[in-house]
Amino acid sequence: MNVLITPAMVGQVIISGLLSGVLYGMVALGLALIFGVMRIINVAHGPLLMLGAYTTFFLYSAFGLNPYLTVPVSMAVLFVVGVLLERTLVFRVVDAPELSSLLLTFGISIALVNAAQLAFTSDLRAVEFLTGSWILGPFAFSKSRVIAFVFAAALTAGAFVFLKSTRLGKAIRATSQSREVAMVCGIDVGAIHRLTFGLASALAAAGGALIAVIVAIQPEMGQIWTFKSFLVIVLGGAGNYPGALLGGMLLGLVEQLASLFLTTQLSEVVAYVLLVLVLLVRPTGLLGGRQT
Amino acid sequence: MKRLAPVLLVLALIALAFYPAVGTGYGLRAMLQVFMWIALAGSWNLISGLTGYVSFGHVAFFGAGAYTAAILIASSGWSWPFAALAGGVAAGVLALGIGWPCLRLKGPYFAIAMLGLNEVLRALVSYFEGLTGGGNGLSMPTLDATVPVYYAMGLTAIGVTVGSRLIIGSRFGLRLMTIREDEMAAEAMGIPTFRHKLLAFLLSAIGPGIAGALAARDQGYIEPLSVFPLATTITMIVMTLFGGKGTVWGPVLGATVLFVAQEMVWARYPYIHPLLFGAIIVAVVLAMPRGILGLLQTKYRLPRTI
Repeated sequence: MNVLITPAMVGQVIISGLLSGVLYGMVALGLALIFGVMRIINVAHGPLLMLGAYTTFFLYSAFGLNPYLTVPVSMAVLFVVGVLLERTLVFRVVDAPELSSLLLTFGISIALVNAAQLAFTSDLRAVEFLTGSWILGPFAFSKSRVIAFVFAAALTAGAFVFLKSTRLGKAIRATSQSREVAMVCGIDVGAIHRLTFGLASALAAAGGALIAVIVAIQPEMGQIWTFKSFLVIVLGGAGNYPGALLGGMLLGLVEQLASLFLTTQLSEVVAYVLLVLVLLVRPTGLLGGRQT
Repeated sequence: MKRLAPVLLVLALIALAFYPAVGTGYGLRAMLQVFMWIALAGSWNLISGLTGYVSFGHVAFFGAGAYTAAILIASSGWSWPFAALAGGVAAGVLALGIGWPCLRLKGPYFAIAMLGLNEVLRALVSYFEGLTGGGNGLSMPTLDATVPVYYAMGLTAIGVTVGSRLIIGSRFGLRLMTIREDEMAAEAMGIPTFRHKLLAFLLSAIGPGIAGALAARDQGYIEPLSVFPLATTITMIVMTLFGGKGTVWGPVLGATVLFVAQEMVWARYPYIHPLLFGAIIVAVVLAMPRGILGLLQTKYRLPRTI
């Protein structure tokens, strides 16, 4: 790199990293919820995000809806898809060995991506709604990224309030702490599993809807999001919900710094090295493991 | 049945050994593919079928072997049999590097780390353009070696299958299966689980490394998209699950049956291929976890260890 790196550039990437990090955190919170409550890593999490992105794209291109107004619609659609998936397939592997749940959700993920390729073709699609940037002193902020940050922060905060103070949220946390005890307390664990899967899919859909406004989408976009979300929950500590947010910001920051000091081509490699390092040094995550 | 099986097996091997003398170019190429899938499915079975640790990125070893061999052949002028062995070694080294951090932990870490590995290798290959040709790919000098590559691929498939037979029948294999059934219990019994998992993973990477190198030599030209497709991982998983995971003959059966079905029936509908494979995975996991070999074992009272 022979380009001079100024403090303003570093400030810029730090802010951009934190902006996209909150989005990572929100998507990963969905994966963390399913893992915490059902002890399943949902490999189809990224493809569900992709379906959310396409829902927004079609509502925008067919009906001319403001894409930000479609976020709740995408979330509702994917909530239903998530509940149906849980109800028909995923509940069968909740107590099965890990191999079964990983392979089952992997199979679902392949089928979803291929179905999307057949239905929507592999063409890149873009929601050209909000382009350009806001300039603030030495910094420039892409408008779509700032709004995505605001949405993600609000939704994540909403999810935390829901988990912290509502009866249903408490039931979800109770189930994630101990399924047997939750059952003894009269919680319908099956219903909680369905609700959790639906909520997680809705969070992924919100991510997809917001991403669709930032970059062009295609059916294969999902897989990398499964990986990134997993990396985020490893960083934050598996089963630790606030950790997901911290992990997300850390991943956003590391990716942006890597693109400044190395090259954007290698940002996935850097993320991977980060995963391997964390697994080697502190496998319980930066905030430590399970606490809800 | 028990006395007939070895005789049939020997006859089949003799027929395959003489096949290049009579076979058509298409037939030879199809058999080469069957051998390749047997080697790949059998190798995936060694780590995932035996220990229960799912590898979602086994094609990474195929690609690593292909690139190692192609670079050695194109830039250093190695002859292809040695380059193929080097491909196997390179895949093994890569497996040690990934397995060391990821297999020390129980749980889904290994599976997801493997899911990302493929993308990472593809990015690295594109980045180090000087060595790998980047997106332009890498051409090897032309060489008509279909028949020798046919034998080499056949030997690789036999090697993986015989290796699986030896492993599954040994104490080492039993320990791996103990890890799959209950890792805590395995540890309590004094099995060094990490070392066993790592060794199984190393062994499972060598076959795909060699197969990738041979496939690269056969095609004469490789590029990132052609040697790192997710579809290859999916196919070896489907074949193993369909045939019967954790067995010696399951991957062989699954690879053969699904390859023939693919050529005869689904070749006309390439677009729905992944959808079909996804559906097979879901169906096998839910309805027939021991694959078709499991069904046969129950029906004809065959031993569980074949």
